[in-house]
Amino acid sequence: MILSPEVLTIIIINIIFLVFGTIAFILSLKIFFNWNINATSKKQYNLEKQSFLTATIIKYILFIKILLFIFFVFTLDKISNVLTGAMCAAGVIDATSYGIYLLLFKLINIYLFGFWLFIHKFDMNTKELKYTKLKFGFYLFIFILFISEIIIEITMFSSIDVDKLVSCCGTIYSNSSESYISSIFTLNQSLILIVFYSLFALLILFYFLKNDYLYLIGNLLFLIASIISLIIFFGTYIYELPSHHCPFCMLQKEYYYIGYFVYLTLFLGTFYGFAIGISNMLSQDKQKIKSYYKISMTFIIIYTLLVSYFPLFFYLKNGVFL
Amino acid sequence: MIKIKNLTKIYEVNKNNITTALNNINLEINEGELIILKGSSGSGKSTILSTIAGLSKPTSGEVIINNERISKLPDNFASIFRREHIGFIFQKYNLIPNISVKENILIPLIPQNPSSEVAEKLLINVMRKFKIEHKKDDIVKNLSGGEQQRVAIARSQINNPSIIIADEPTANLDKELSIHFIDILRELKQAGKTIIVATHDPLFFDLDFTDRLIEVSNGELLL
Repeated sequence: MILSPEVLTIIIINIIFLVFGTIAFILSLKIFFNWNINATSKKQYNLEKQSFLTATIIKYILFIKILLFIFFVFTLDKISNVLTGAMCAAGVIDATSYGIYLLLFKLINIYLFGFWLFIHKFDMNTKELKYTKLKFGFYLFIFILFISEIIIEITMFSSIDVDKLVSCCGTIYSNSSESYISSIFTLNQSLILIVFYSLFALLILFYFLKNDYLYLIGNLLFLIASIISLIIFFGTYIYELPSHHCPFCMLQKEYYYIGYFVYLTLFLGTFYGFAIGISNMLSQDKQKIKSYYKISMTFIIIYTLLVSYFPLFFYLKNGVFL
Repeated sequence: MIKIKNLTKIYEVNKNNITTALNNINLEINEGELIILKGSSGSGKSTILSTIAGLSKPTSGEVIINNERISKLPDNFASIFRREHIGFIFQKYNLIPNISVKENILIPLIPQNPSSEVAEKLLINVMRKFKIEHKKDDIVKNLSGGEQQRVAIARSQINNPSIIIADEPTANLDKELSIHFIDILRELKQAGKTIIVATHDPLFFDLDFTDRLIEVSNGELLL
């Protein structure tokens, strides 16, 4: 097991979150099954008080968990130094069979945690606390994912063998790799770019049409297309190496940590895109939905311009594409 | 109209220290009424007032003001409701001692952020009404008890609330200033405000403009 200060920090924070998260889970169960906002009984007033306490606990846990994801990625990158063969976070992810599941869990959870915060915000903006039951019911569901994530995370860190040779990202993200990732290299690069830019154009169209559900679906497809195109095309221009497809190396100092900015804009843009769908279901506040459209579109445009800049700049500088 | 329905308030410090401040009380107060709640210290008068104002939640039961279930409102909405409809005069005034009279009175307007002209107009109106204009720039801690109370009243009136709640308003005043406060109450009553005063000051018990005098004892209303 690797017990670097960063890994220890993550494990300790997770244990603290586990304790408070479990308290919140027990209280959420109680609230979910007994909530009746119209009642004026002692039990209901107690539930109302407990709901504020529980929501505060969940709010802080989930908010910090989102921030902790950045630290998790940073940690993977940091501990890659002690794994033989690993050049970046990709090697650490590939060092155990849990790595990829953990990353997927974390990504899905980040979106779900964000959605919970959204529902909570809507709930607190209604006099009748309309979404309290939904909010705590949703927490009961995400608590299971939250626990699973912690278990996988601790299992992953404890099963990393520092003496074992691991693959570097150059091997993992190549078409000769036998890993899960090699399948995406069978995709046609031009086709992926056409899909990526077409989805971007469609999102702009849906933005002007203000069709919430089309915009939500567009964002989901755009997220998938963006990650694939980043690995098989745009990433190579960030590294200026045609054979380097790693989605993690761009998070390193050598590349001025540009990856953090790239992923942040993509995740924020698509998160607000999904949030429009939630807002539509929960609130009829057109003004708020309009502002989410603006935020989402702004980040998506920044992301698209940012990733497009690298191949364009390369072409202008060298007169050829990679 | 204010409706208090089956209101109970229990303060529970621990299992051995439980105080029933209000025991299943019911009351209706019509618009424009002046109600005096009298009773000894610890009888539950202040708890009734703070529950009506939404400053504390009941243990059970509810308070409805103008069809709004104030005791069921989340804190942020209760604050907005209070700001728009209720002026609260506290026993110890609850002013900020190190800032000026003007700044204290303007505090309730902060969330609304009105233009400086509008704020100034409202400020001058209430200061004139409660005869505190000449002390506008004085620091509150340097004022006398009577003057501080007039500042507190002016602050409670700057939003022109329809309901005025006063908790032991003359507890720190001498007889002359108490009579002056009663004159102010008369003016507010004439202006159509609904007023609820909790007091054990006998000066309030024989007022000719009181609608109802209600005795509170051991958390119950003796109607």
